[in-house]
Amino acid sequence: MKKIMISGLIVLLIAPGLFGQELTGEEIIQKVNDQFNVDTSYAKSKMTITTSSGQKRTFISESWSKDKGEKNLVRYLEPARVKGQAVLMLNNADDIWMYFPRTQRVRKLASHAKKQKMQGSDFSYEDMGGGDAFIEEFTTKRLEDEKMERHDCYKLELTRKPDSDSSYSRLIIWVVKENFVPIVIDYYDEDDPDYHLKRLVQSNLRVIDGIPTAMKAVMHNKNDNTQTEMEILEVKFNVTLDDTMFTERELKK
Amino acid sequence: MREKILKTLAHWHTAHPWRMTLVVILLTILFAAFARRLAVTTRTSDLLPEKDPKVAQFNRIIEEFSTATSIVVVIQGEERRIKEFADQLAPRILEARDTGKNDSLQEKIDKLQRKIDKLGKKERSEAKIAKLESTIRELRSQMNYKLFQRVDYKAPIEFLKEHMLMLVKEEDLTNLKDIFMGPNLVDLIPNINNSMEKEYVGQEESISTREKEDGAWGFLDGIQNLILLLQKASEGEEVPDEDVRAAADKILFGEPYLLSYDKTALLLNVIPAFTLMDRDYIMSGTRTAQSILDDLLKDFPDIEAGLSGSIPKEHDEQVYAQQSLGYTTVIAMLAILILLMVSFRMWVAPVFAIANLLVGVIWALGSAFIVVGQLNLVTSTMAVIILGLGIDFSIHLISGFTEHRAAGESIAQAMEAAFMKSGKGIVTGAVTTSCAFYALAISQSRGMKEMGLVMGTGLLAILLATFLVLPVLLVLRARLRDKRLQKKGVTKLERDISFRVLGRACDWLGRHYVFTIITSLVISVFLIWAAFQIRWDYDFRNMEPKGLVSVELIDTVVEKFDLSMDYALVTTDNVQDSYELAKEYRELGSVAITDDISVFVPSPEQQQERIPHIDEIRGKIQSATVNHAFLPDELETFKNEIERLEMNIMEMQDMAFIGGQDKVDNKCKEIVGDPENPDSPNIIRKLLQLLDGDASEVRQGLSTFQKSFAPHFKQSIIRMSSIEPIHLEELPTSILDRYSNKARNQFLLSVYPAGSIYDGEFLKRFVNDVESVSERATGVPPLSIALLRIFGRDGRNAIILTLIVVFLLLWADFSSPKRSLIAMIPLAFGVFWMVGLMYLVGIKLSLMSVMGLPLIIGIGIDDGVHIMHRWRHEGNGRLRIVFASTGKAILLTSLTTMLAFGSLIFSAFPAWGQFGGALFLGVGGCFITTVVILPGILGWIGRRSNRKKD
Repeated sequence: MKKIMISGLIVLLIAPGLFGQELTGEEIIQKVNDQFNVDTSYAKSKMTITTSSGQKRTFISESWSKDKGEKNLVRYLEPARVKGQAVLMLNNADDIWMYFPRTQRVRKLASHAKKQKMQGSDFSYEDMGGGDAFIEEFTTKRLEDEKMERHDCYKLELTRKPDSDSSYSRLIIWVVKENFVPIVIDYYDEDDPDYHLKRLVQSNLRVIDGIPTAMKAVMHNKNDNTQTEMEILEVKFNVTLDDTMFTERELKK
Repeated sequence: MREKILKTLAHWHTAHPWRMTLVVILLTILFAAFARRLAVTTRTSDLLPEKDPKVAQFNRIIEEFSTATSIVVVIQGEERRIKEFADQLAPRILEARDTGKNDSLQEKIDKLQRKIDKLGKKERSEAKIAKLESTIRELRSQMNYKLFQRVDYKAPIEFLKEHMLMLVKEEDLTNLKDIFMGPNLVDLIPNINNSMEKEYVGQEESISTREKEDGAWGFLDGIQNLILLLQKASEGEEVPDEDVRAAADKILFGEPYLLSYDKTALLLNVIPAFTLMDRDYIMSGTRTAQSILDDLLKDFPDIEAGLSGSIPKEHDEQVYAQQSLGYTTVIAMLAILILLMVSFRMWVAPVFAIANLLVGVIWALGSAFIVVGQLNLVTSTMAVIILGLGIDFSIHLISGFTEHRAAGESIAQAMEAAFMKSGKGIVTGAVTTSCAFYALAISQSRGMKEMGLVMGTGLLAILLATFLVLPVLLVLRARLRDKRLQKKGVTKLERDISFRVLGRACDWLGRHYVFTIITSLVISVFLIWAAFQIRWDYDFRNMEPKGLVSVELIDTVVEKFDLSMDYALVTTDNVQDSYELAKEYRELGSVAITDDISVFVPSPEQQQERIPHIDEIRGKIQSATVNHAFLPDELETFKNEIERLEMNIMEMQDMAFIGGQDKVDNKCKEIVGDPENPDSPNIIRKLLQLLDGDASEVRQGLSTFQKSFAPHFKQSIIRMSSIEPIHLEELPTSILDRYSNKARNQFLLSVYPAGSIYDGEFLKRFVNDVESVSERATGVPPLSIALLRIFGRDGRNAIILTLIVVFLLLWADFSSPKRSLIAMIPLAFGVFWMVGLMYLVGIKLSLMSVMGLPLIIGIGIDDGVHIMHRWRHEGNGRLRIVFASTGKAILLTSLTTMLAFGSLIFSAFPAWGQFGGALFLGVGGCFITTVVILPGILGWIGRRSNRKKD
């Protein structure tokens, strides 16, 4: 989902020649995937979570993404208490490290952490990860087209491949025909393909540097009846990022 | 027939007043005897249909599982003191006995013994004697009744000491086993660090749910306690062995007491030997527990403690209900009395009316016992409602009698005329309202059904009293008055009273019917809009009396323990089902935690999976050497490890902060300080400073500490690493009793909500979730939703049926469907006005206020009926007379009814206040629509009729 939220918020304008062709589910998801996987990006975003005692807590962070979302670095700016705290996700969030400026230590999280909630939000680390997960982890079937969020959409059903370790048994994605933006994604429980777990709704599409970008994403967790709103405050694409930035050593800087 | 009966009755009263008095006294004694046996229940589950699966299941759980109902003692103060208090309180409560019934039981025993003695002299009476002796034994067992069977306030430590590791999940064993590998301080702290860093890897999951957050909190609490003791040891302060062992146990087993997160409150759960069905014991059990608590509190002036839970709540509500009903009834009676005195401009007749009402209420209560046996939260208000409605009969009869006496008629003539003129109207009115009440009997909910039966019968009882009691009083008073006047040789007629202002006003409204109708419609549209804005109040606490300790402590428990005392209950047939269900429930976002027996009896497969880990721990700890001294080179390592611990906790704190886990964050603050407040204390930093002191003294202190700590820690781990399989039947009775029924074939699973069940949206979601896993789920949250659903449906059905019944009765009365509908117009508008006004004054729809809707149809119709009767009698164009005369009567009856209902607003029970307030507005609304809208309609009809004639 990282690819949707950060680099994934990018959508390319589709060549007019592509319209009118009857695309298969695989072709559509491939286009979605290709568009998401912008080589590099930078974003400044705001996320609000609800704490266990019911209080709202807002975080502002900067993030950098490289290699089509495979590498991600998130660094907290606000509130002051967590300023400098950072998360490094490599290999599509299979490897996660955290840096704590207070102790100046870096810790690696277990690989299974990618299935868990990220920072008390309704996004998991897996949701924030990038790469070709839609292609590699799922098989795609095209369903009957539908209108969603006032857009004419392709409706796709992605079913988890037997060897996949995704924490979702299937996904239903509504892709806007006009620009191949996955405007809504429904996530289904790992063990129960009928149990609707979460829904991501993207909105506030703006063209930035010629690229239509969803500036707002809301993840609604149906199970907990909670939702996390992520707002992009600033975004840049195809920025120059050094590979060393995405290393454990650089995390401390 | 009706006329003949009324005539005969009138004749009897004037001919044989003393005989009638005797009949009244006998009937009153009889009904009073019934009324005395009338029980009161304030449980909301008693409002639901008995056969409703959720109610049946709830009642079964209450019957079978003693732990389903309890007395919760909430103790607040300083940690050590509240623990001491609990330790002293528990045995005293366990000793409590109910001796209040001893005398009556002994009397019964003596009586039976005398019977046995008599039978002993006869032949072939062995079987009878054996039966009587068995009864005596049963009665003896009830003497000095032991009220409480158990007090739960500590974890089952002895069981945990044997089997703790077998109860730890395999993944947790993998993460935590490092902690158990070495008994010495220099081993323990690094082991904790290793474990934290390993656990830390999976920490996102570990503190992502309430149970995991609690686990992390408990773990940190054990570390905090150890650090504080190590501070003392480092300073050379002697740490009692008991405290050292407790610190080791806290790390291994967690906090044994049911302490709040801030450690300023402790819960003690008293499990009664009786159930929520045993009313007498609820009262005596609560009183006894309170008295024990009060006695002990004298020795602990620094402690605050009170009772809460289902039993004290039931007790307190019953006490409040009785007190409340007492004074609201007095308020209602006084208000009515004053109103009548002002209105009739005399005091005797109103006093008679009230006396008649008192007798009538006794008869009504007696008949309520015959009909339903007990009063519930709704029907408890019957006395006040009956007062408000029953006074109308007296007003009409007194008016009729005084009117004819004023006309110079004799007592007999006046009484007969009053019976003939007012009696018929009274009977018709009473029967209509009673039928409207009886229509509620079709309801599924016991609340509404019993309301219908009790009120319908009560109203008939008061009708009977009005025809039997009041006339006697009036006749006797008239005779006395006549005699007195005869002696004085003067003739004085009864005063005539009238209300001409209302007649003039209504006449004006009738003449300006266009203005009247348009204005009425505008006001009605606004109030109908307001009526549709009204919302349900899901916060059941708003129905509870304010200031009740048992109710207020519920909020304390929620605040301090983050735990709702109202949770869902599910029963299962075996431990495995309990485990599976609990697992499913814990996955739901609306569920905070579950509590069930499977925690203490893992499945054989789970136990097998855990054995290799336990073997490893036991092997390591058995071979570990206990060092009685802290070596010089160990001190530096120890300090480094303490620093590492500080960093681990700081990182855990930062993780908890961004993860929104406030309890963990706050606990970390207590240990390593608040990062946002540099001056906040950091107990690890303080320990490090102490460790930097005189090395030999520090080592000496730590050696002394270790001498106590290490052997106990080692032995405890060896003991708790038993790999003996845990079987259900081997569990301690305290655990079995807590989770299973007596037959041990049913198991109770408690499901605690993650949010407030007083938030309607959350309540619905929680109940939906709970029921989606098991339809058998019951308890307060599912019952609340069921209650709202059933009451909503019953209310709608009752309104429709009542309207049909009222319409049919009016049709029969007026012999015209058109006139019946006209008579119902003020009622129809009145109901909308009532709901609209409820919205405007801030009364929400609740179980109680919604009860007022079907009732107002039966009550509010009277005004329109009386006006229509009189209008028909007087004819067109005589609105002034109609409203001056009958208008006065309906104003008076409406005011008295409003005063009766209004008195409930002063009740300590907000539920009754909502009910009384709704009906107050309803009766007022119906009166205003009758004297405003009806004149307009009748004026318009009159004008049309005149035009036709022209």
